[in-house]
Amino acid sequence: MNALRALGPLLTVAGGAVLVLLLDAFWKRESKNHLAYLSLALLAGAAALCVRLWDAGAASFEGALRLDRPALLFCLFLILAAAFTVLLGLRYLAQQNAAFGEFYGLLLLSLSGLMIMVSTRDLLIVFLGLEVFSVSAYGLTGLKRNDDRASEAAAKYFLMGSFAAAFMVFGLAILFGSAGSFDIGEIFAAGGGARMPVFALAGLGLVLVGLAFKIALVPFHMWQPDVYQGAPTPVSGFFVVAPKTAGFLVLMRILLPYGQGQWGRDAVYYFLYAVAALTMIVGNLGALRQRNLKRLFAYSSIAHAGYILIAVLALDARGMAFYLASYLFLGIGAFAALAAMCRPGREYDDLDDFAGIGFRYPWIGSIFSVILLALAGFPPLSGFLAKFYVFSAAVRAGLVPLVIVGVLTSLVSVAYYLRVIAAMYMREPVHPVDIEVENPAVLLVLFLCLYGVLQLGIFPGNVLTIIRQAMAGLF
Amino acid sequence: MNIPLLSFMIFAPLAGAILLIFLPKDRKDLLYGAAGAASLLTLASSFLLYARFNGAAASLQFVERVSWLGGGIQYHVGVDGISLMLILLTTFLLPVAIFSSWTAVRARIKEYLIFMLLLETGILGVFCAVNIFLFYVFWEAMLIPMYFLIGIWGGRRRVYATTKFVLVTMFGSLLMLVAIFVLAAQYQKATGVASFNLFDFYGLSLPPQLQLWLFLAFALAFAIKVPMVPLHTWLPDAHVEAPTAGSIILAAVLLKMGAYGFLRFALPLFPDAVQKLLPALAVLSIIGIIYGGLMALVQKDIKSLVAYSSVSHMGLIMLAVFALNVEAAEGAVFQMLNHGLSTGMLFLLVGVLYERAHTRAIADFGGLSKQMPVFAAFFLVAILSSIGLPGLNGFVGEFLCFYGIFAAHSVWAILAVSTVILSAAYLLWMYQRVMHGPIVHESIKTYRDMNAREIALVVPIVILMLWMGIFPRTFLKKMDATINSYIRGLKGQDKVFVLKPALNRGSYPRLSTAETVPQTRFGAPSAPASAAAEARPK
Repeated sequence: MNALRALGPLLTVAGGAVLVLLLDAFWKRESKNHLAYLSLALLAGAAALCVRLWDAGAASFEGALRLDRPALLFCLFLILAAAFTVLLGLRYLAQQNAAFGEFYGLLLLSLSGLMIMVSTRDLLIVFLGLEVFSVSAYGLTGLKRNDDRASEAAAKYFLMGSFAAAFMVFGLAILFGSAGSFDIGEIFAAGGGARMPVFALAGLGLVLVGLAFKIALVPFHMWQPDVYQGAPTPVSGFFVVAPKTAGFLVLMRILLPYGQGQWGRDAVYYFLYAVAALTMIVGNLGALRQRNLKRLFAYSSIAHAGYILIAVLALDARGMAFYLASYLFLGIGAFAALAAMCRPGREYDDLDDFAGIGFRYPWIGSIFSVILLALAGFPPLSGFLAKFYVFSAAVRAGLVPLVIVGVLTSLVSVAYYLRVIAAMYMREPVHPVDIEVENPAVLLVLFLCLYGVLQLGIFPGNVLTIIRQAMAGLF
Repeated sequence: MNIPLLSFMIFAPLAGAILLIFLPKDRKDLLYGAAGAASLLTLASSFLLYARFNGAAASLQFVERVSWLGGGIQYHVGVDGISLMLILLTTFLLPVAIFSSWTAVRARIKEYLIFMLLLETGILGVFCAVNIFLFYVFWEAMLIPMYFLIGIWGGRRRVYATTKFVLVTMFGSLLMLVAIFVLAAQYQKATGVASFNLFDFYGLSLPPQLQLWLFLAFALAFAIKVPMVPLHTWLPDAHVEAPTAGSIILAAVLLKMGAYGFLRFALPLFPDAVQKLLPALAVLSIIGIIYGGLMALVQKDIKSLVAYSSVSHMGLIMLAVFALNVEAAEGAVFQMLNHGLSTGMLFLLVGVLYERAHTRAIADFGGLSKQMPVFAAFFLVAILSSIGLPGLNGFVGEFLCFYGIFAAHSVWAILAVSTVILSAAYLLWMYQRVMHGPIVHESIKTYRDMNAREIALVVPIVILMLWMGIFPRTFLKKMDATINSYIRGLKGQDKVFVLKPALNRGSYPRLSTAETVPQTRFGAPSAPASAAAEARPK
């Protein structure tokens, strides 16, 4: 019975995915809204099951799937992200001739993969979850099947993702050869990474590379801008947030036991140090050159992964979780604004399209501006507090050079975020932009994101408490 | 007193801004009424603050302290003699700036007023914050409304100017943020408790090398804001492109935030580094005085002339700050008020002129005093106040500054006096070219003189200028005690928390600090005990 309880949220989502797909196959309707509502109900159910487990926690499959508090918290993050995505998709898919029931099925399936990733300490199960996510993600990317760019994105994502998976499997094989187990606790049982033989370290490195592909850390980020540009906008919003959320928790679960004792003087540390610096620099400088907003946010999400990696390097699980919570609203909020800028058959995602829309569509303009300012790290918004916690933990951990890189690159980021705001409020329209205003679901998402940004920025007390509770259970 | 006066004052404009969101955007009178009411309410509460402020006490007054985020981050505000003056300046000029826009801002009035009110909350927060985190939040948040004010309602190159303003300012403040992290980490290492309380940090003794780096980070942020040469390049751009009200606030109040930062943060936190770098800072200030003056001489645009005069005058204020004695410090604060009033009024008048002429080039004017005698008279008063004519406010401030600077370093004073000559030269020469001589253009004959609204805006400023010139004690008496204790604090470098290897974290320092914290060092009660309570997980 306990095992079933632990499976509850996952079963709801994965079973729901199958249900949605079957329903779509056997009950043909022009509008797919009923599937969206069903998905929302399933997500709400999964979330409720997670909340019920908060105090007790649960495990199944002999502990391979373990819903401890960090897992539950991150499952809730992921479910929220998926719910936002469903809402964004409601009108968008019909507008862009991509109203397929598969969207909801694949979305739930990919969510279930990510949920598997966060609720285990077994690296093989992590890989299982990652692949469940990836396979459905390839499908989601190419959903607009008449669009060349979408097909290109899906193909690219598939190829790159397969490479990453291969790296990871190879690394896992080596690790298993060394430790005789896939369980993180057992791999590092002998006293952290210090005692690991060199070939096991190589295996670990390959696993990290595989994860870095999925999180899109430089230099494994090349696929990301193309994929995010080609994928349907709501899906891109899901992609900038969800895989990062899951991937970073896995990274933290690996590095906490690895780093016990002598974190800071070994190869993995320096590798991640360099990757963090590169990710921030390349992400921000790359975004500076973009005129397409989807690509801009793709690069900006790379940059944010760099900041989160600083928290990982400082082994600051709370800072990381808070950053991810904040970025959940910011990443999806940004793409929600893009999803709002649509009309049937046309998407507006060029910088010039946004010229002068701030006064024309005051709600979209103002909420988008708040989200951009939060992404840039202006107080009193959540993005500032997230960076504040990460950077201050990093300074305490002696990562001052990295923090200096961080603040200087976030100065660069201010430049490109402000360019979007300047376009919206300080330039005259370049050409007529005519969006479909009747889109209550997108507005709802925008307002919820605004609420999240303000709540986390000004009164984050409750969220901080929850995160503190949850992250105490990590390792 | 049930309503916390200080918080009421800080957030009244914010409440006004929120109210404005729900007002119809085409009712200009209603919008201005609401915005004006909010800013006048703020002004009234700052008067109350002045009246209740005890000038004989050096300590922080009206302190409010509420736990906010944990880990030493509190909502902690208070006022002492220095910040009281700058608060008064802000609350006094904001209504003036708002009502100066009545005809100047034609489009998107609602958004304009919202940003003006948000700006006021941000500025007041900066001057009241005692917790460094809170200070930083206000310091950065204040950039956002300013960014929009310049960027939407500014001149032709507004986007360039406002982006440059934000980026340059943020460059400094982000490095300051890193320094704040280091400071907080050091404090935690030394005492075992987390704190962001400024007055806790005052007691921290840091190794000289670290002090130097931290001071440079703080000084960079503040020097950009002041601005000190060579970090001033954003200022002329921002001023020329900003709308009139934006220029008024920028020159009168925002620049003071930099000087205030030096007084409040950079100097007392890092006394050893200050001693080491004092000559360099003084030289930069003097260069600013002379360079700003010379640049002002050659400007063709009245607004950029006034902008460069700000660079010069702020140089004098900074030099007085670096003189580190009571007279100079009082002079610096007083001169901040003067500069706020005179430069604010100059920008206001330039705005009045621009509304009529749609040009600000000196060469386009001539003989204006014949057509606009009232305007010319007020313009002259502002110029004379800026030059420092005895009887007006500028004289008192400059006198105190020079007196103090001379006592510290006679050569500095001799060089700094050039500001009087230079400002007389560029301002009077500009006045002569614009106001006197024959009327050069026919169009000038169509200009109306100042109307009742415009006169009503400048008359309070002029009254205040006279008042401050004749009865400076009204203001000086409120800051005497604060500045005396401030200078004592700077001179006596009795550090309380000595940084030691944290062998026995938590127990050692708490024992020693409990008795040894001098309650009035820098005028404020330092309270590590409460910080310790704060550090416990909630």
